[in-house]
Amino acid sequence: MPSHASFLLRRGLSSVLVIIGTVTLVFLILYWLPGDPAELVAGENATRESVARIRVLLGTDRPLWIQYLAYVGDLARGDLGTSFATQEPVSLRLWAQFPATLGLTLLASAVAIVAGIGFGILAAVNHGNWVDHAIQNVMLFLTSMPSFWLGILLILLFSVTLQWLPAIGSGSLAQLVLPVACLGLIAAGRLMRMVRDSVLDVLQEPFVTTLRAKGLPERLVLFRHVLRNALIPVITLFGIIVGELLSGTVVVESLFARQGIGRLLVDALSMKDIPVIQGAVLLASISYVLINLVVDLSYARIDPRLRVEG
Amino acid sequence: MLHRRQLATLLAAPLLLPAGARAQPTSTPKPGGELSFGLDGAAVSSFVLDPHDSGFAPHNRVFRSIYDSLVVLLPDQNVGPWLATAWEISPDRRSYTFTLRRGVTFHDGTPFNAAAVKANLDRVADAQSRPLTALPDIGPYAGSEVLAEDRVRIDLHRPFEPLLRNLSKTTLGIISPAALAKHGAAIAQNPVGTGPFRFVSLVQGVEIVLERNPDYRWAPPTAAHEGPAYLQRLVFRNVPEEATRVAALQSRQVHAADGIPPQNIAALRSASGFRLVEKELLNLNYTLYLNLNKAPWDDEDVRRAFRLSLDLDALVRVVYLGTLPRAWAPVSPSIFASAEKELRGSWKPDLAEAIRILDAKGWRPGAGGIREKDGKRLTVSFADTQGNREKRLDVIQFARRQVARAGFDLSIDSQPNSTYRQKLASGDYDLSGASQFAPDPDVLARLHLPDQRVASSVAKTNDPEISRWLTEGQQEGDPEKRADLYNRTQRRLIEKTYAIPVYVLPYTIGITTQVNGLSIDSHGFPEFHGVWLNA
Repeated sequence: MPSHASFLLRRGLSSVLVIIGTVTLVFLILYWLPGDPAELVAGENATRESVARIRVLLGTDRPLWIQYLAYVGDLARGDLGTSFATQEPVSLRLWAQFPATLGLTLLASAVAIVAGIGFGILAAVNHGNWVDHAIQNVMLFLTSMPSFWLGILLILLFSVTLQWLPAIGSGSLAQLVLPVACLGLIAAGRLMRMVRDSVLDVLQEPFVTTLRAKGLPERLVLFRHVLRNALIPVITLFGIIVGELLSGTVVVESLFARQGIGRLLVDALSMKDIPVIQGAVLLASISYVLINLVVDLSYARIDPRLRVEG
Repeated sequence: MLHRRQLATLLAAPLLLPAGARAQPTSTPKPGGELSFGLDGAAVSSFVLDPHDSGFAPHNRVFRSIYDSLVVLLPDQNVGPWLATAWEISPDRRSYTFTLRRGVTFHDGTPFNAAAVKANLDRVADAQSRPLTALPDIGPYAGSEVLAEDRVRIDLHRPFEPLLRNLSKTTLGIISPAALAKHGAAIAQNPVGTGPFRFVSLVQGVEIVLERNPDYRWAPPTAAHEGPAYLQRLVFRNVPEEATRVAALQSRQVHAADGIPPQNIAALRSASGFRLVEKELLNLNYTLYLNLNKAPWDDEDVRRAFRLSLDLDALVRVVYLGTLPRAWAPVSPSIFASAEKELRGSWKPDLAEAIRILDAKGWRPGAGGIREKDGKRLTVSFADTQGNREKRLDVIQFARRQVARAGFDLSIDSQPNSTYRQKLASGDYDLSGASQFAPDPDVLARLHLPDQRVASSVAKTNDPEISRWLTEGQQEGDPEKRADLYNRTQRRLIEKTYAIPVYVLPYTIGITTQVNGLSIDSHGFPEFHGVWLNA
């Protein structure tokens, strides 16, 4: 299918542009922020000479455009550079933290999808009765919660009072439950509202009445026809929510004393450790772009009408 | 010539008794087990376990278990023997000859000796590499000479009286020279010392695992016993969020946690199953520093009016719920030569007087009650980078309301560390705050002595008398005269309103009653050597 291939090519190209744009923007912002990384690396007792020496060592003495070209050149060869603060390769520092963040984000997304879509449908088919009201109220409560506050409540209930789950650390599955619930439930609340509204809209459409008139069982009407139509806006929202989940890990990782890219980023920002910040932002933007690429491709799977035009 | 060796023995001897008495356990210590410690380690993602290169207090709390020092700080603020059993100071006070303890080995099996001491101090002094955090601790260090396997002489360019106390700091803990040669800068992730625990592993930003050093026989005289630690394993878990840290303690996921916030202190004291261990941290108290180079603080009367409009007693009581005392002197009360007693009650809040001064100075009330003069508003920008650590932003918020009554407009300028330091260096701020742990009042020189402070120093004091006293203080051999110099310095800092001390920080650890023998050393850092767990 040539049209499908060209769609992929165009999406791929625009994704690369988005990533290059992000990296460039972050590079410029970091450069213009006040504060000399060499002074921070040199420490409190540094002499002017040692700061100058470190500046040469880090390469921050060169003009902006040369630094930028060198950075992009290294990037093209897959080299993320060396951390200013610890002198370790950035890729190593990222790799040490990334699995924990990835696990947290993916599981939180799974919770958001299962709970969001499940309760969304349940609320829609029970439109107007107590089940609908109960679900809506709980989800309103969850979406209104900042993650640090919901996290503290979860810890107080499940860790301190009931003593069922650990509050801190990363490594075991049990340690993932509370942070995943914290991130996932907040996102589930937003997805649920979208699913509910979307399913209700589709249920009003004439073709649903036709299907019911044909005598198709309600279960099939709902899952084979209504849901497929209702999912398009939900998937769009999901692409955005995954991005929010990624950024939400900054707070949740600190709260639950976990490893992760979020904490690495906060630490690197305070030290103006430009290569690490760049690496973390690059990783996040690639993840975000990839997820949205998958989202775009899945439209075509779900709705054949979108397949050819793209 | 003073026989320091005898003096050291004299000092140490009476101490062994109270230490032994303090250690009398209700039951016999039980070896073994793992202690999990919830560390208030902030949101850092890299642990720097290089004692010479970290001024970060949470990491220094870990160092004490891995690294020993040449001397130990005693409760009376003198120093006692540790890895050095005795020392002599030359009559010109520029040479210190240490006799070292024999039979001490590093965790990697290499011996601790005079060459190791020299290698450590030379490393700190090495100007070729990046300057290490511990550099000011050795002052005018000229070099070391190995006299024998167990004798080393440290030479100074000029007398430096803070040296002995500084040698008791974690920042001058002794690292294995073999490990330094092997790991280079990566020593920060592979620490090797002579301490009661040796390093096993770490997960960056999350946890540090240590295990018992079975060969340990050289605990300082302040310890309850000389031999190896009781605990088999010691795990520091970094829990930056205070609510989570307290929750982890309450649910017993950790045996102990430090940095207990005021709102939980009362609850933990009264809860069954938990205890609170606390001790004053030897500290340059958290202090507000006024940028003296810039209007309006270049005018002493306006500085005084600002302070008169502050009610620190009320502020500290409300923000910290009565869990810690307000500070009167720049250095905390237990430090040698603290002027806390002399300065107690040295000034009182007086809003009417503050208003009278500002009126007389031509600052007239303008829009919103904020004073103005020649079209300029009386604004004060507080530069900050630490967020609400130790509730310091709550302090500023509270102060903001107090000083507004006199017509000051106090605002908070929160910046990342890099920007913050840039602002301090360029002088683009009016007010900022800081604290610094230290066992000797010479720490004042790092802020108030212009040629010994860094460009990004929070203090901009440039007072000839203070400069003279601080310089003399580094060289004065007579303790009484020396104390007088620092006492005068502190009194002048307050008298001229160069700095406004806010509170005295007790280091606080919450523990479950399963934990026995946990102590805090004279600096205010936790000691795990004597800790054992109930079954």
